[in-house]
This record gives sequence, C-alpha cells and structure tokens, in this order.
Amino acid sequence: MRSLEIPGQEIHIEIDNPIPRRKKRNTNLADAEPIVLMSVLSSLHAGYFRISLSLCSQALLWKIMVHLHSEIPSAAFHFLWYLALVTQVSLCFMYAFKCVFFFDLVKEEFVHYIGVNYLYAPSISCLLLLQSAPMIKPHSVLYQTLFWIFTVPILTLDTKLYGQWFTTEKRFLSIMANPASQISVIANLVAARGASEMGWKECALCFFSLGMVHYLVIFVTLYQRLPGGNNFPTTLRPVFFLFFAAPATASLAWNSISGTFDILAKMLFFLSLFIFISLVCRPNLVKKSIKRFNVAWWAYSFPITFLALDSVQYAQEVKDHFASGLMFIFSSMSVLIFLGVMLLTAANSKRLLRRDPVLWSATAPKDK
Amino acid sequence: MEEKTLNYVIQVEEELPTLLRRVTTEEMVGFDNYNENNLLFTHPISRFHPSHASSTPTSNGQEVSRSSIESMEDHHNYNESHDKETLPWTHQRKPSISMPTSPNILMISDPTTSLSSDNNTSGSTGKSVKFLSQPMAKVSSLYIETGNDEHDHDRRRHDNHHHHQQHHQSGQLQNQNPAMHKLKDNRYNSFKTWSGKLERQFTRKPASVEPEAPNRDKQNMNTNEAMPVDRYYDALEGPELETLRPQEEIVLPNDKKWPFLLRYPISTFGMCLGVSSQAIMWKTLATAEPTKFLHVPLWINMGLWFISVALILTIVAIYLLKIILYFEAVRREYYHPIRINFFFAPFISLLFLALGVPPSIMTDLPQFLWYLLMFPFICLELKIYGQWMSGGQRRLSRVANPTNHLSVVGNFVGALLGASMGLREGPIFFYAVGMAHYLVLFVTLYQRLPTNETLPKELHPVFFLFVAAPSVASMAWAKITGSFDYGSKVCYFIAIFLYFSLAVRINFFRGIKFSLSWWAYTFPMTGAAIATIRYATVVKSSMTQFMCVILCAIATLVVFALLVTTIIHAFVLRELFPNDLAIAISNRPRPKQNSQHRWLDQLRNVSSENIENYLKFTDLDSSQSNDLEAANGKTQESDSA
Repeated sequence: MRSLEIPGQEIHIEIDNPIPRRKKRNTNLADAEPIVLMSVLSSLHAGYFRISLSLCSQALLWKIMVHLHSEIPSAAFHFLWYLALVTQVSLCFMYAFKCVFFFDLVKEEFVHYIGVNYLYAPSISCLLLLQSAPMIKPHSVLYQTLFWIFTVPILTLDTKLYGQWFTTEKRFLSIMANPASQISVIANLVAARGASEMGWKECALCFFSLGMVHYLVIFVTLYQRLPGGNNFPTTLRPVFFLFFAAPATASLAWNSISGTFDILAKMLFFLSLFIFISLVCRPNLVKKSIKRFNVAWWAYSFPITFLALDSVQYAQEVKDHFASGLMFIFSSMSVLIFLGVMLLTAANSKRLLRRDPVLWSATAPKDK
Repeated sequence: MEEKTLNYVIQVEEELPTLLRRVTTEEMVGFDNYNENNLLFTHPISRFHPSHASSTPTSNGQEVSRSSIESMEDHHNYNESHDKETLPWTHQRKPSISMPTSPNILMISDPTTSLSSDNNTSGSTGKSVKFLSQPMAKVSSLYIETGNDEHDHDRRRHDNHHHHQQHHQSGQLQNQNPAMHKLKDNRYNSFKTWSGKLERQFTRKPASVEPEAPNRDKQNMNTNEAMPVDRYYDALEGPELETLRPQEEIVLPNDKKWPFLLRYPISTFGMCLGVSSQAIMWKTLATAEPTKFLHVPLWINMGLWFISVALILTIVAIYLLKIILYFEAVRREYYHPIRINFFFAPFISLLFLALGVPPSIMTDLPQFLWYLLMFPFICLELKIYGQWMSGGQRRLSRVANPTNHLSVVGNFVGALLGASMGLREGPIFFYAVGMAHYLVLFVTLYQRLPTNETLPKELHPVFFLFVAAPSVASMAWAKITGSFDYGSKVCYFIAIFLYFSLAVRINFFRGIKFSLSWWAYTFPMTGAAIATIRYATVVKSSMTQFMCVILCAIATLVVFALLVTTIIHAFVLRELFPNDLAIAISNRPRPKQNSQHRWLDQLRNVSSENIENYLKFTDLDSSQSNDLEAANGKTQESDSA
C-alpha cells in the first residue's frame, strides 16, 4: 500500500495472525533461561572478582596458618582452596562470556577510571590461588608457566594505566586517582611475592619497585584529596579499606624478597596498622555505605586478610605477646568478616545478580 | 502556651523589682525580708511590692504589675531611655524605706540605656554592649546579700532563659556595680566555658549573675558546631593566619585589652620547644666526641633543663586555666588551621625534656614513661591525619602549611626517644607513620597547590620548620639502626640543604612582625646542629667539626636574640600578648557576602590570583559538612546508589 495516498482510497487493515504470537510465547519460555543468563552476564562486572579475591586470600591465610600451627585441620584449608578455585574458574568463565556477548560493556568498564582497576582482580586471584595451592611446588615448571600466564595481563595493564598517568593530557593522575587505584599496586606486589617464592629475586625486585614507586605517587595524591578528584561514590566506601591493604601487601612482598621480616617490612606493616586503626576510628566514613548490601562489601574482606597475613609473619619474627595478640586478633577478624560477608551474599543472592547498576556510571569524570 | 505567657508575665514581674531597686534603694533593705516569701512562691509577686512584707492583696499587686508590665513592654518597644517612664512605676510603689534619691537618678538612666542596648543586641553579636554605661560608684555590701537570691532565681530561670533574653539582662543588671565589671565580662562570655556558668559555680558573689542575653545566639552557634575552616580563611590572612582582613569584624571589642587568658595563644608552647631543644643541644655539646675540644660544662645543660621544666609547668598551668575558664576560645584555636598544629607542641616539649635530662639526674628512663608520653600523641595524630585523608573541608590540599611539620616531627622525636631508651618496635612504628605522612606533606608543600591558601607567598620564619623533620628523622634512624648509615645520611643532607637554602635568603626575613610562635621555629636550627654533631661523630674531619661549631653558635645566637626581643616586647613595649584576633572572628560572614559580592569584593581587592582561585576551585562551599567526613555525599552518589 502506498501510504502516501490521499485519504479517499481504501486502507487495508491487516490483522495479525495470533498464531505467531503464541509461537513467540513458546519461544519466550524457551528463551527464559538464556535471558536470565544474559541479564546476569550484563550485570556482572569486574567488581565481582572481589569475591574470588577474598576467597583466595583467605585460602592463603589458612595455608600459612596451617603451616605454622599444625593443630588447625588442613582439611578445612583444602576445602577452602577448592572452593576458591571453583569460584574463580566460574567467575572467569562468566566474564569471558561477557567479553564475547557484551564486549561493549567490558570496554566501558575498561575506560572507566574506577572500573579499570578491577581488571587486575582476576590476575591477583589467580596468583594468590597459585601461591596457596597445596599441590603445586613453587619451583616446578607448572608453577612457573602458570605464573607467567597470570602475570602477563598485569604487565599489560600496568603499561597502559601507568603510562597514561604521566604521558597523556586527559587522564591526569590528579583527577583519576581514587582509592581503587591501589589495586594495581597490590597486583604488582602480589606478583613480586610470587616471583620471589619461585626464587627469581631480580624479577621479584622489579615488580616490587614498580609497585612501590606507583604506590608512593598514589599515596601522596590520595592523601592530598585534591579538589578535582572528589567523585568517589558512597557505595564504594568499603574500597577505602584498600588504603591499608597496599602497605600490608608490600610488607609481605618485601618479607618474601629479603627472607626475613626486616625493618622495611616492619615499617610497612606498622603503617598499614596505623591506617587501619585510623579508618576503624572513623565509622562515619563507612556508615553511609552499610545501608544496603552490595558486592562492594566483599571489599572489606580481603584487606583485612592481607593485614592478618602480615601480622602472622610479624609474629613469627618478633616473638612477643603483643605480636601474637595482634596475629590472633587480625586472623579472627579476617575469618569472621569473611564468613559474615559470605553469609550476607548468600542471603542477598537475588539482589546481587538481579539488579546491580554499574555503580560508577554516573560519576565518571568527563574525559572526552 | 498559656504557661509560657504566665511565665512570661511572672518573669517580667521579676524584672521590674530590679528596676525599682535601682530607682529606690530602700528596697534593698526590705528585700531581705522577703526571703521566706521568695521561697514560698515559685515566682514571688510579693517582691514586686516592697510593702508587701505584711499583707497586700495580691490581686492588686497583680493588676498593678500587669499595667506596669504593659508599660514595661512599651518601654522595650520604644527602645528609648526616658527617665520619666520609670516614674509611673514608682508612683505605684509605696516606698517604705527612705533612702537618698540623688544617686538614684544617676542609676535610673543606666539601666534603661542598658535595656535599650540589650534590645538592640539581643540578636547581634554583642558588640554594641560596649555602649553600656561607665562603671558605677561602688555600693558594695548591699548587693552581695541580694546576690544570693538572684542566685536562686537564676537557677530557676535557667529553664526559661530562652524566651526571656531582654528581661534576663535587665534583671541581672540590677546589681549595678559588681555587675559593672561583669558588663565587661558579658562580652567575653561567649568565650567562657559554658558561657560563664562554670565561673558561677566557683563564685557565689553577684558575679554569679551572668547576663547571657546578648551572647545567646552566639552561644548556641558556638556550642553546637565547629566553625568551618572557610571562615578562618575568609577572615584571616598572613602566613600564620593571624591578621584580620580589613573587612572582617570580630566579636570581641578590639579597643580594649581582653582578659589575659583570652590573649594567651597556644603558640606560647613554642617557647617550651625552643628552650628545651637548647637544653638537648648543650647536653650533646658537652658529651659528644667532636665537640669535646670545646670543654663545654654540663651545668649549662642542667640550668637550661631546669628553666625549661619551670617554663613548661608555667605555660601548661596557664593554658589549663584557659581551657577550664575559656573553653570556647580553646575550641576556636583547635579549629584554626594553623594553631591546631601547636597542640602537638606540649607533647613534643615533654619528649624534649626526656631527651635532654641531665646525665647527673637520671641516666636510664623507665620504659613505661615512653608509652605514657606517646599515648596522647597517637590519639591526636589519628585525629589530624585522618582529617587529612578523609577530606572534607580540612583535607590536606586545602590546609597544608609549613606549620604542619609540627604534627609530623613529633613522630620522629618519639622514635628517637624510644630508641635511646632501648625500645625496638615502638620507635619503628612511629618512624614509619611519621615518614609516610612527612612524605605526603613535603610533596604537598613543594607543589604549592593553587587551592592552598595557607602557604605564605613570602618567606617567613615558619619555613624553618622544613628543616626540622629530616634532621630529627636522621637522628632517629641512626638510633634505631644503631649507626649513622646511609638512610640517616640521606635525611641529614636533605636537612642541611634546606637549612642553607633558607639561610642564604635571610634578607627576605626582614620586616616581619614578631610573634611568640617564632620560638617554635628555632628548634629546627637546634635540631640541625645536633644532627651535625652526630654526623661529625661518624665522619671525623675538621670540616664537620667546624660546621658543628658554626651551627651551634647560630642556634644559640638566634635563641638569645629571640629572648631579648621577647623581653623587650614583654616589659618595655608591653605587647607580648596582643589581642588574639584570630580566635575572635565572627561565625557569620559579613551580611553582604554572598558569593556574588564576594567575587566583587575580590575584584576590588585586585588580586588576580584570588579570582583565578575562586573561578577554578569553587567546590569548597560545603561548609555544612562535618569536618570529619568527605563532602562527597552529594546527590549524584545517592542517585547512583
């Protein structure tokens, strides 16, 4: 029909055949699960890797505790490790699917100034899994291969991110710096620890210096709280716990490199301790974000686990009551928080997957 | 509501007798008779009529009182002082006791003026109170007895005092004379602890009758919230934020000398720092190897040490008095972006004392002493550094200034003391924390960020504080590791470099107004001298020895010159403690100052930097936010959440 005809002519009215609609309904039913899967995939973002990060760091803590105190049943540790492995593998697969189907979303995350940091998280989790693996020996070929597989993404992201800081005109550090930037530092430091466990001291030192230099820059910038970089969403306040996660990881890495918990490691540990106390004394900072459960709550768990790990090493070196007390406090705190967040996740699992706006979408600084 | 009006009525009635008392002093004598009556009625009407000792129908009294209330109200509304207006009341009263009336006429005029001025000032900052009358002739003892009753009434009136400002004022001004010097106190009331209620507890004299009216609003403002840091920046200028900007007004009168305690800033603790660091230096000079050739006697150290102990005790005592009596002033100092750093000074001085203790008195200090000394330190630190980090209006990019070094140096001094006592972990803790925060501060100060308003554009003695942290850090590291190795040497060279770069610019330090906080800037020089001695112990050469002597001589000369200047200012010029304008800034900006006009004013002030700053960085209007927390809880986040 020529719709341009002047009225006066006949107008055909087509009535849709209802049968195709029924077919659609049938196909709707058949498509129901894939649609749910699609929605899950679209709402998955790299921040979910906090879960695997927490699990893997917890596994590392248990490994070291089992190593030191043989009265802790190693069955619990094994269970935890396998759980962490399963979680990590499934999350990786899901994220891979997301890359396939929703590459745009992934690209968006990559460009976002907070989201890009969480792209380190899968590598960190894998490295931690590797380091806490009960069956793989550090000097074996398998370990080395896996180490390199997991470290290459870190290196590429490093080149992209750190290079951007001081070369490009648009993404100034003073604007882009945010507490989540410390994850990149943690990635380098965990890689340093892994390398030194393998015995490759120079490589470890390289990663360590890379991490520390950028940590220095980020630390100063974040402490200054320059006016340009104020838009950190309230729901991501748990990420503030990264402030003490970074020095704790640095201390662990240096401990691994130098062999003993020497003065630099101690200083980093104390700095981490101080920042932890300082954050804990300011409940207002996180009060706003506790209103509703969010996957960001997993960000409470792994910094404390790192601090606990550090305190374990410290207590090994300095064998007095204060150190043992610290170790006990932090380890129990870490386990408790971990269990708590896990329970909360289980209770709120629907909310977790069904509706999770990309938290950082509204507040990205304009960097066109 | 009815109750309120009733109270109101009754309150007014209470006030009126005071006027009458001024008018006709015979009531004073008759007043004592009414003690029992006063206790019987909650708000005795019988006081109203001096002749009421026996039995006058209260209804009459009430009627009369109501009409007088009306006239009283009218009087208030007119805001004028007429002697004649008081006369109708006197007609209604039946004076039972005759007293000389002539002085009364004098007295009549005064309360009314005070009333009217109080009416004017009830909403303002109390500045116009200074128009109150001159001190009256002393009529002392009569008032003292009445003061007791006033005391009782005062207590009862506390509940209602929100509503009855003016009447309160008038009611209490009945004690003219002792209240006269209290008129002066009214102006400082807002600065007193609980606005003078504490003083009331101490004294049972009419001094206890504190008029709270003119400063009521300020009271509420002050006790409720901290003054936002923006106010300090708007109202003050100068490298130490001491000078008042020309357009600002202060809440205390500037033409009179304020009470001594109000003029006593926290920066006086800088004196303790200066003197106690000298004690350490002379001890090192006497005991260390490179300077043994000088044969410096140890009694210099002992003398200086005792002097510094006495000084610290005195200053601490005075400042404690200030805290007890003028807590509001202390609070304002605490919120001042520069003065807050001086709150570390007492604790650093105590650490210096422990470091400089003469060897003849005590060689080994007990270890619990270190924990005791460092405990208040860590509490204060957690607060201040947390403020830097968590942002809000007191974040580091905004408030960074050289005086912040005082906050950081304490860590190193504590580490030095702990390491010399033989402790191991604690010193490392403080060294780590101090180093991390020093790094941040150093970078921030070097950057001279445009948002940073406190950094002085010109050189000022405060810049010598740059030298303090690295020199003490080098000594602390040497003690921790046991030898003056690379880490210490690096820190030491940084300190020396900064020292020299400031020393060659000595010309730029001229023409700056002396203030007591200059004493705090001498201890970096002393610290550098001591660090040089330690360095010379390791690197033995004549050059290093020479440097030791030179630096110690400079430090001693500077302290001596400062001492002379202080004495001159104290006794000859008598302006060692000028009116501390920095704490008296008003809580509200000038009425004209909304953002537009501020921009215009800045244009008028012809400073392109100001305009640039304002245009670029105007996100700092979050004066409502709690200074603890980041002012990040804006709507966008809540939307996205």
